[in-house]
Amino acid sequence: MLISILFAFIATIAFGKLFNTPRRVLIPGGLVGAIGFAIYIYLKDGLGYSSMFSNFMGTIILAVISEFFARIFKEPVTVFSIPGIIPLVPGLPLYRAMNFFMLNAYNVGMEKMVQASLDATAIALGILLISSIARLFKTSKEMAMQAKNKGAIKP
Amino acid sequence: MTCEKIMAMTKEQVLEIAITAGKILLCSGAETYRVEDTIVRMCNLRGMDTVSVFCTPSVIIVSNEVASGFTCMYRVNRRGTDLGLISEINKLAFSFYDWQYDYEETMNILREKLERPPRPYYVETISSGLAAACFAVVLGGDVYEFIGAFFAAAIAMLVLKQISPFRPSSFWETTLAGVILCAVALIFQKIIPGNSMEKMTVGAIMPFLPGVAFTNGLRDYMAGDLMSGNTRVSEALLLVGGLAIGMAAVLGIWHA
Repeated sequence: MLISILFAFIATIAFGKLFNTPRRVLIPGGLVGAIGFAIYIYLKDGLGYSSMFSNFMGTIILAVISEFFARIFKEPVTVFSIPGIIPLVPGLPLYRAMNFFMLNAYNVGMEKMVQASLDATAIALGILLISSIARLFKTSKEMAMQAKNKGAIKP
Repeated sequence: MTCEKIMAMTKEQVLEIAITAGKILLCSGAETYRVEDTIVRMCNLRGMDTVSVFCTPSVIIVSNEVASGFTCMYRVNRRGTDLGLISEINKLAFSFYDWQYDYEETMNILREKLERPPRPYYVETISSGLAAACFAVVLGGDVYEFIGAFFAAAIAMLVLKQISPFRPSSFWETTLAGVILCAVALIFQKIIPGNSMEKMTVGAIMPFLPGVAFTNGLRDYMAGDLMSGNTRVSEALLLVGGLAIGMAAVLGIWHA
């Protein structure tokens, strides 16, 4: 498990490089991906939760950390969350589904397909939840600022 | 007065700066609300309070709520992913309220970012190969699968970079990537018989999965930009479909 977390860390850094992330946030970005993947793999393999729940929790923790890192390093949130989300993407069930379809095993293939789409939905729900909560904070801050210097900036 | 340099520019000049910044943001794969927010914020600093921006993944329209106002429109045909550029423009937009450069200098800065030459092939090739190889290990692979996934993804990325001057549609690009990486993984399985096809292929598809489109689409939904959200999520589904078709073609020929 430790080896896979370590390699998830390296893979996230490689993704950061692929997407041309600024060099000084490569390591924090890798940390985001590694933590998200660690939560996922611990819940799934260590505690035996379902794949969907593990993905959901992993995404939530990952998204929260990337919101915090975005505040700390003064970078857009996507710099952390896009490479970080990738270790969780359900590539394996997707591949298996396609492979079973090619072998005319539609029953098993459909099962894998549903699993892949449920995993993707769980990730989506995690991102949706955290980004909407983050927007709440942002909007309240903006409203406070607008109330404070009403017409001050405008010439 | 904090923004005297900006007040010294004309409104058209500020608008041009703002729309260029928005152009760079959208072309490097920023979310819709970030583009709209940047343009509106820059224009507000110059006292243009009635500016309205409409942005989808393929167009930016900047116009005025006043009937006699202006309209600027920019059509985006091709988008990449460059988080570094997004972060640079983001910094520029946040420091715009005490801006120290005049119009020409600002446009030069932006033009330099807009026309920045693409990075050398080997950076993207090696990083996608490394990412794929690490995923093969994450799935439980050994050294041979590490090497196999590395070459599968790296060769596919290299071919994509070579054909990108011909501007293929992103769907066919991804399909081609699926074909190539699946074929390379098959060859590696033949060379080293114990190799698991599954781990190599799943590792190798990771750099080509549309994670950016998916994540940005969902963030667009939550920001209320439903049209952009729909566009990006369906783009992601289309690209996943393309990848699956490409791999299925190779596997189908193989199994037949």
